[in-house]
Amino acid sequence: MTYALGRVASAAGVLLAAFTVAFLLLQALPGDAVMIRFENPELGLSAEQIASVRESYGADVGLLAQYWHSLSGFLGGDLGFSVASGAPVRTLLGSAIPSTLLLAGLGFVVAALLAAALAFGAILSPSGWLANVLRSLPSLFVSVPVFWLGIVLIQIFSFRLGLISVIRPGPLEALILPVLTLAVPISAPMAQVLVRAIDDVQAQPFITVVRSKGAGEAWILLRNVLRNAALPALTIAGVLLGELIGGAVVTETVFARFGVGRLTADALDAQDIPVLQGIVVLAALAFVVVNLLVDLVAPLIDPRLKRRVHA
Amino acid sequence: MSRTPSGRRLAGLTAVVSATALLAACGSGGDAGGSGTSDGSASGTEAAAGEPIEGGELLYLEYQPYTTLYPPQSGFYPNGALIANITDRLVYQDPETLEFSPWIATDWTVNADATEYTFNLRDGVTFSDGSPLDAEVVAKNFDAYGLGDAEAGFPVSEQINNYVSSEVVDADTVTFRFSAPSPGFLQATSANGAGLLSSDTLDGDLDAYAPGNGTGVVGSGPFVIAEETVGTEILLEARDDYDWAPAESEHQGRAYLDGVRFSVTPEDSVRIGALTSGQTDVIRYVQAYDEAQVEQAGLQLFAPQTQGVNNSLSLRFTNGILADIDVRKAIVAGVNAQEVVDTVFTPNYPVATGILSHTALGYVDHEAELAYDPDEANRLLDEAGWTLGSDGIREKDGQKLTLVASEAKPQPLSRDTLTLVAQQLKAIGVDLQILAADSGTYAEAIKDPDQVQLYHSMVGRTDLDVIKSQYASTNRDANLSDDAELDRLLGLVASTADPAARLQASADAQQYLVDQAYVIPLFEEPQVYGAQDYVQGFGWDTVARPVFYNTWLAQ
Amino acid sequence: MTLELQRTALLPADGAAPQAPAPRRRRRRGPRVTVLLAVAVLVLVVAWAVLPQLFTSHDPLAGVPADALQGPSAAHWFGTDPTGRDLFSRVVHGARYSLTGGVVAVAVGLVAGTAIGVIAGSIGTIVDEILMRVVDVLLSIPGLLLSLSVIILLGFGTTNAAIAVGVTSVAAFARLSRSEVVRVRRSDYVEAAFGSGGRWGSVLLRHVLPNSLTPVLALAALQFGTAILAISTLGFLGYGAPPPTPEWGLLISEGRSHLATSWWLTTLPGVVVVLVVLSANRLSGAISQARTARS
Repeated sequence: MTYALGRVASAAGVLLAAFTVAFLLLQALPGDAVMIRFENPELGLSAEQIASVRESYGADVGLLAQYWHSLSGFLGGDLGFSVASGAPVRTLLGSAIPSTLLLAGLGFVVAALLAAALAFGAILSPSGWLANVLRSLPSLFVSVPVFWLGIVLIQIFSFRLGLISVIRPGPLEALILPVLTLAVPISAPMAQVLVRAIDDVQAQPFITVVRSKGAGEAWILLRNVLRNAALPALTIAGVLLGELIGGAVVTETVFARFGVGRLTADALDAQDIPVLQGIVVLAALAFVVVNLLVDLVAPLIDPRLKRRVHA
Repeated sequence: MSRTPSGRRLAGLTAVVSATALLAACGSGGDAGGSGTSDGSASGTEAAAGEPIEGGELLYLEYQPYTTLYPPQSGFYPNGALIANITDRLVYQDPETLEFSPWIATDWTVNADATEYTFNLRDGVTFSDGSPLDAEVVAKNFDAYGLGDAEAGFPVSEQINNYVSSEVVDADTVTFRFSAPSPGFLQATSANGAGLLSSDTLDGDLDAYAPGNGTGVVGSGPFVIAEETVGTEILLEARDDYDWAPAESEHQGRAYLDGVRFSVTPEDSVRIGALTSGQTDVIRYVQAYDEAQVEQAGLQLFAPQTQGVNNSLSLRFTNGILADIDVRKAIVAGVNAQEVVDTVFTPNYPVATGILSHTALGYVDHEAELAYDPDEANRLLDEAGWTLGSDGIREKDGQKLTLVASEAKPQPLSRDTLTLVAQQLKAIGVDLQILAADSGTYAEAIKDPDQVQLYHSMVGRTDLDVIKSQYASTNRDANLSDDAELDRLLGLVASTADPAARLQASADAQQYLVDQAYVIPLFEEPQVYGAQDYVQGFGWDTVARPVFYNTWLAQ
Repeated sequence: MTLELQRTALLPADGAAPQAPAPRRRRRRGPRVTVLLAVAVLVLVVAWAVLPQLFTSHDPLAGVPADALQGPSAAHWFGTDPTGRDLFSRVVHGARYSLTGGVVAVAVGLVAGTAIGVIAGSIGTIVDEILMRVVDVLLSIPGLLLSLSVIILLGFGTTNAAIAVGVTSVAAFARLSRSEVVRVRRSDYVEAAFGSGGRWGSVLLRHVLPNSLTPVLALAALQFGTAILAISTLGFLGYGAPPPTPEWGLLISEGRSHLATSWWLTTLPGVVVVLVVLSANRLSGAISQARTARS
C-alpha cells in the first residue's frame, strides 16, 4: 500500500515536472503566435498593422505570472484558449482525442495481431526459409519511413486498385489504411518480444515434459508463451504509447485526418502555446497513468518482480 | 464609371476551358496594353452540355485550411475561396472583361475627383440570418474595412485607400467619402475584400472570424457555411431563397448545387490521385508536373490567371549588398525566368514580361529590360568590385556575395523555383541560399533585409492599386522599402482621379521598379484546378478564386 | 521499477534465441550471411560519405534543367529530379549528411543517457530515484513535440535535427544503461571485487562498465537506424535540412509528391534508407547475439 501511494505521489511529481519543462521550453521558442498568424503576406497587412493587432491581444506579462496563471488554470481544469483560432483548448482537444484514440487503439490491436501472426508463423512454419523470412519481416517493418509507407499504400490500394476510398470514406473504410500504416512499424518490436518469449519457452525443460505427455505443439506454445510474453508486452505498451502519438502525427497528415497528432504539428507551427501546453499535460497524464498501472499490475502477473521492485 | 481596356472579348460569366484549348490559347497570348486575353476557343461549353441540373453536393479538395473569414484578409486563397461563395459584393466585376456591373448596388455615382461614391441598393436582399441588407449595414461594413478597429483587432483593408466616412442617405442609399481621390474604391467594392457581412457578424472581434467559428460568419451569398470541422472540412449549403445574383449573370435564383464540401487535403499526391481515381469532383492547386496526368485521364484542367503583380522576387535594397544598384541589375540580368518556366512549370504559367501580368490593368511590357543576360551580369559585378573567389563565389572586402531567398509556401513550387534560380545565380558568382525555418523564425526573418534579401511573392487584384498593395511601405512592402520616391509614385496610382493620368501613374511606378532593379519578375501566376468531366459551369472570380454559383453536376 | 525492461525488449531478437540455440541450429548459416551483407552495405555508404567523388561524377547541387525528371538510365542510375540534378549523385553525397545525422543523434543519446544511467545505477538510493524521475519526465513529453521544439530553438539543419532526435533517445539509453549497471553490480564477481577491497571507481571502470557495454552498443546500432528514419520524418513535417542539402530524408520527402509520375524520386532514396536501417538493425541484433553466445 505504501508502495502504491509512493508511486502515485511520484507520478504526480512527474506530471508537474513535465508541465514545467514544457512551459519553459515553449516560452523559449522564437517568434510569437500573433506574428505567425498574421505574417502571411496574402493577408495584406503591413508591419505596423501586425504590431497593433499584437497589442490588441495584450501579451507582455511576466514569465512567473504566466506560469502561475497557466498552472492554476490547469489545476482548475481550465486549459485556456488557442492563440491561433481563439477556440477553447478543451474543445480542440475534445474533438481531437476520440479520433486519435480510435486510430491508435486499433493500430495497437492490429499491430498485436500482426505481431502474433508473424511470431507464431515463424515458429510453426514447416520450412526454414519461410521462418527466416517471417523472422526478418519485423526488421524490415521498422526500416520503412512511416509517411512513405502511408503514401505508397494510398497510391496502391486507393488510386491504382481503387479498393479503398481515401476521400470522404465510410467510417470503417477511413480507418483501414491509416491503421495499417500505424500498425506496421509498431508490430515489429511486438513481434520481436513474442519471438523471444517463444524461444525462451521452447528452451525450458518443462516444455519437453509437457510435450512428452502428448500435448499438441501449438497448444503448448500458446498457453505458455502468452503467460511468458504478457509482462514484456505490457511494459512495451507504455513505450509504444509515445510512438503511437508520434506515428499519429504522420498518419493524420498523410490521410488528412484531424486528431491529436495533427493538432500538435499545427499548433507547433503556429506556436500556439496554450494548445501545446494542453497536449503535453494530456500526453504526460496518459504516460504516467499507463506506467502507474503497469507498475502496479506487473507484480500481480509475475510475483518475482515484487522482490525486485522493493529491492 | 466603368473603366475597361478595349478589345477584350466578353467570355461569359462561366468560362469553361478545356485543357487543350487553354494550352493553345496561352501560347498565343501576350500582346501589350492589357488587350490580350487568353480566350482562344475558351468559354461556353455549357450549351453543349445541356440544361443545368439542380442538386447534388460537390466535393472540393483544398490545399490548406483557411485562417480567417474576415473579408479584408481574403487575399489568402483558402480564405478567399470561402468568402467568394458566402458573400455578395456591391458591384460585380467580370473576370474576363474586367467591366463593372450591378450586383447588390443597382447603380452608383462617383464625383469628378473620386472622393465621393454613392450607391443605390437593391431591395429585398437578406443575410442568411434573416436580417436585411440595407444601407445601414453596408455603411457598417465599409466603416469596419475602411477605418479598421484597433479594439476588435480589425486592420484597415489594403484595398481601400483614403477612406473617411459613410453616410446613410436613406434605407437603400449610402454614400462614402474620402480624404483624397480614391479611384480604386469601385473595384474594391467588387472584391472579396469587401464581402458584405451581417451586422451581428461585424460586432464580433477578429477571433470571431477564426477557424472554428465559420458557421457564425453570416453573409448574403448563394452559399452558407452549414458545418465546420476545424482544420479539415467545411460544408457550404445553398440558400434556397437566394435571388440577387449579379445582374450580368444569366443564371438567377438559387445555386444549382445543394452544397459544396471543402475538404482540406494537404498532400499533393493525395489530391491529384483522388481526382484521377474519381474520388473527388474538383481539386485546387494541381502542381505543374501533375497537369499531364489530369489531361491523360481526360479530365478538365482550368488555369485562370490571377491578373495582378507577377510571381516575383523582390530585392531588399535596404540590405548592404543590394544597396548597390549595379549588383541589383546584375542579379536581375542573371536570372533566367524562361528556363524556370520551361523546367519547372507549364504553358499555363506564362513567363513574366513586366512587373504586372499581361492581363492585368495597366500592364507595361518591360521584356527587353528584364532579359536574361549573364555576360552583362558578370560585367556589372566585376565593375562593382565583386571579384570571383576560388570557390566560384564573388567577394568584396572579405565579404562573400551570399544572399538568402525566402521559400514561400503559398507560391507554387517555390522551392524548385528558388533551387533553379540559385543555380543560375551561381553561374555569375552569386551564392543564393534558401531560407528553411519554422514559422516563428520565418515570420521575423522576412521582415529583416539582413536575413532575407530575395523575397518570393505575388498579389492578385484587378485594379491599378494592386501595385501599391505589393510595394508601398505602408502595405505589403515586399521590398522593405525606405524609398520615398517609390512611395510617392505608388501613392499617385491610388489617388489620381483622372483615368488616363492614373494609368500613366501606374506605368511610371512600373518603370521605376524596373529602372531601380527592385524586382525579378518570374511568371504570371495562375490558379490551376482539376475537375471531373461531369462538373459543368465551374467558374472563378477576377483573381481566380472558385465561384460555385453556376456549377452543376451532369450526372 | 519495471519499465527498464522496455528498451531491451525492443532490441532485435531475430537470429538465434538467447537461451535456445539447440532447436534453431539449422538457421545458423543464414544470419551470418545477412550480417556480412549488412556490414557490406554500411561500409559502402560510409565510403559514399567519405569519398563521394569516387562513386559519381555528377554534381549533386547543380543540374542540367533540360534533363529534368528523367527516369533511371545508364547516364543517370537513379534518374533526375525536377531541376535536372542527378539523383544517384545526390544520394551518394547525401550519405555524409544522413550518416552524420545518425551518428550525432546516437552520440547525444548515448553520452547523455549513459551518463545518467551509469550515475543512477552505480550510486543508487535517492540519486537514482531522482534521475529516473527526470527520465520519466523526458519520456512523458511526446518525443515529436520535444524534437520539433528543439529544432525550432536551434534552427534548421542536419546537425540540429540530429541533436533533436538524439534528445528523445536519452531516456532509452539512461534506462538501459542503468539496468545493466545494476545487473552487473549485483553479479557475484563484482560483489567479489568490492569484497576484496576494490575502490568504487576502479570497480566501476574495470568491471561494471565493460560488462554493461554490449547491450548499450546494440541499442546504439538500433538507434542509428531509428535516427535516420526520424530525421526523414522531420523532413516530411517541414523541419528538414535547408535545400539544396541532399539529405536522404529530404530526398524522400521532397520526391513524394512525384510518386505517381516520377516514382524513382522517392522510391530509390527510400530503398537506400531501408537497406541502411535494416543493416544497422541487423548489426544490432548480431551484437546482442554475440553477447548471449559469450555468456
